[in-house]
Amino acid sequence: MKMKRKVAVAMTMALAGSALFSVPTQAEEKTKLTLWHIQTGTMASCLENSAKRFMEENPQYEVEVVQMQNDSYKQKLSMAMSAGETPDIYIHWGGSSMIDYVEAGQCADLTEFMEKDNYKDQFVDAGIEQCTYDGKIYAMPVENISVAGIFYNKDIFEEYDLEEPETLTELEAICDKLVEEGIAPFALANATKWTGSMYYQYFATRKGGLEPFQNAAAGTGSFEDEAFVYAGEKIQEWVDKGYFNEGFNGMDDDSGQARQLFYTGQAAMDLMGSWFPGTVLGENPDFIDHVGFFPFPALEDSDVDQTLCVGTVGDNLYSISENCEDKEGAFKLLQSLLDEEAQVERKSFGKIVPLKNFEAEDELTQEILDTVNAAAGIQLWYDQYLPSEVAEVHKSTSQEIFGNLITPEEANKEMQQAMQDYLAKAE
Amino acid sequence: MQTGNSLVKKREKEIRKVSAVFLIPALLFIAVFIIYPIFNSFQTSLYEWNGITAGKKFIALDNWKELIGDKTFRKAFGNNLIVMVLSIVIQMPIGMALATFLDRLGRKGTVFKVLWFVPMLMSSVAIGYLFKYALDANTGLVSTISRMFGGKNIDLLGNPNTALITITVVICWQFIPFYMVYYMAAYSGLPGDVYEAAIIDGATRSQYFWKVALPMMKPSIKSAIILSMVGSLKYFDLIYVMTGGGPGDASELMATYMYSNAFESYRMGYASAIASGMFILITVISLITMRLINGKEEV
Repeated sequence: MKMKRKVAVAMTMALAGSALFSVPTQAEEKTKLTLWHIQTGTMASCLENSAKRFMEENPQYEVEVVQMQNDSYKQKLSMAMSAGETPDIYIHWGGSSMIDYVEAGQCADLTEFMEKDNYKDQFVDAGIEQCTYDGKIYAMPVENISVAGIFYNKDIFEEYDLEEPETLTELEAICDKLVEEGIAPFALANATKWTGSMYYQYFATRKGGLEPFQNAAAGTGSFEDEAFVYAGEKIQEWVDKGYFNEGFNGMDDDSGQARQLFYTGQAAMDLMGSWFPGTVLGENPDFIDHVGFFPFPALEDSDVDQTLCVGTVGDNLYSISENCEDKEGAFKLLQSLLDEEAQVERKSFGKIVPLKNFEAEDELTQEILDTVNAAAGIQLWYDQYLPSEVAEVHKSTSQEIFGNLITPEEANKEMQQAMQDYLAKAE
Repeated sequence: MQTGNSLVKKREKEIRKVSAVFLIPALLFIAVFIIYPIFNSFQTSLYEWNGITAGKKFIALDNWKELIGDKTFRKAFGNNLIVMVLSIVIQMPIGMALATFLDRLGRKGTVFKVLWFVPMLMSSVAIGYLFKYALDANTGLVSTISRMFGGKNIDLLGNPNTALITITVVICWQFIPFYMVYYMAAYSGLPGDVYEAAIIDGATRSQYFWKVALPMMKPSIKSAIILSMVGSLKYFDLIYVMTGGGPGDASELMATYMYSNAFESYRMGYASAIASGMFILITVISLITMRLINGKEEV
């Protein structure tokens, strides 16, 4: 009796299953694909929906979407890798960890798939660049674009007859003019530390491009490179000239103390991530019409590419494991994360997907996108690129540079020491 | 005689048994939430661990060696001492003055009693934000007043020379009411006939305070000082909210330094060494102070 009932239940389930997924008549072994991500809430369900669509179209696959916790993700992933249980698809942030995964033979070369039918051309170039190492593409940028640029108060620029600068010299001329008029050129709240770090990152990138940082983080270069010296010295020069509001090291960006100056016209500009318009819309929607944007200006007479942006194009990059048995299938699954339905869904959550065809709803976001589209590459946020204990050293030394508490040389030396200590421990 | 004695003994034994039973729940909590974590911190301080993964690496005393040579920790400890001294010097006299004032006013002082107690009722985070805005170098209260009188903007929190002292003043603002209430309780513990006797003997109000009330409240003052001292040495809240230890390490305290190592740099092993170091330092300092204070009394 019992046996019979079990069979009956199994039959019903099989029927129901076939009705739902229209399983082909002959029994087929399904290929299982595992995907690890760190999205939460509605964004997590967006990934689930993509996986569901993929399975409907490709019934030979069974996809397991695993939601991981952001905080412990890196550790869990490296544990899975060392245990030989790398998920078929996993996310990372690019930078040094992607290079590590590639070197460890954990990251599949996707160049062939990405170039098929020129699929990669749909992506923002800087995003592809971020996924490229040694001329090969190892990941796909998926989630979000966020880069830093300069937001300014249009009214102030109009009043003093100023124009969006293209070079640092032009920007400095604007700053001098504003200082004369008693307006702080830049609003900065640097108790938060990462706010000031953006200036450091841009100066270093304008001076030396992407290599000095990449090499320094890998241990083959040094944080005492001239690009970093330049960054520190430029910051202190700007501080001395009064380009920032007073008391910045005691002010907190999270509680809006920099934006307060920006809104009230006491400061004219703010170097901030592209989430800035969203923040303004949230707390001071009427002000958005007064906000303009321009990319961080270029350094004159430099051989380095001056279109580089600081930020991330993709935010989460999705890679396929070298050990995945069906890489083609896995890549199809990846593509479904950015199919048309997914694009619509992602946009509705306010994400900027790293695709060229993305159209912004407002002018400001569009300007940011144009900047990103024109960028030859991206300098990933230092604090995301670096291991957390080194990132903390960077953040506090950059705050000390701003406060004239140490010289750029001392700061860079401290950074180099922290990086070396970390690399020595990792071995 | 024999039986009476054994009855007393029996009774004592019973009481001991019963009190042991009643103590078990409290002791259990203390064991689980205080004693075990202390030992666990000491143990963790011998490892290199990021606080997340399963793999801890035993590195013996390396964390401790680093701690001893750590400039930031020394600076933080120095800052803790500054906060401690300032807290005692500022909070104790003002708390006492307010309590004396309220004691003299009696019922009439209820309004002041309520008003002055308000800071104690606010959460530290709320106080931190309040003062962060009030001390904002450009739009804050202090700068605005300074500008009204033709002065410049005043940057207190962003200036490494003033950040710690400024926050200590806010800490005092928060805790003076506590010591006010504490001393009010001490006042109410003084017998009324002593006051009457002093007045009848021709003592003035101030003579009564300096010669009679103050010496009689000595035990309360002593424990208040110890309380303030331990509180200052393990202080965290307002520093974390207002400057996060910055600019640089200008206002770093041992507890904020421990926090940033544990949860920002993910160095749980080293953070445990800091915590254990704090435990030792605070215990030693408290013991010495208690010995000093109590020793004097005996002489």
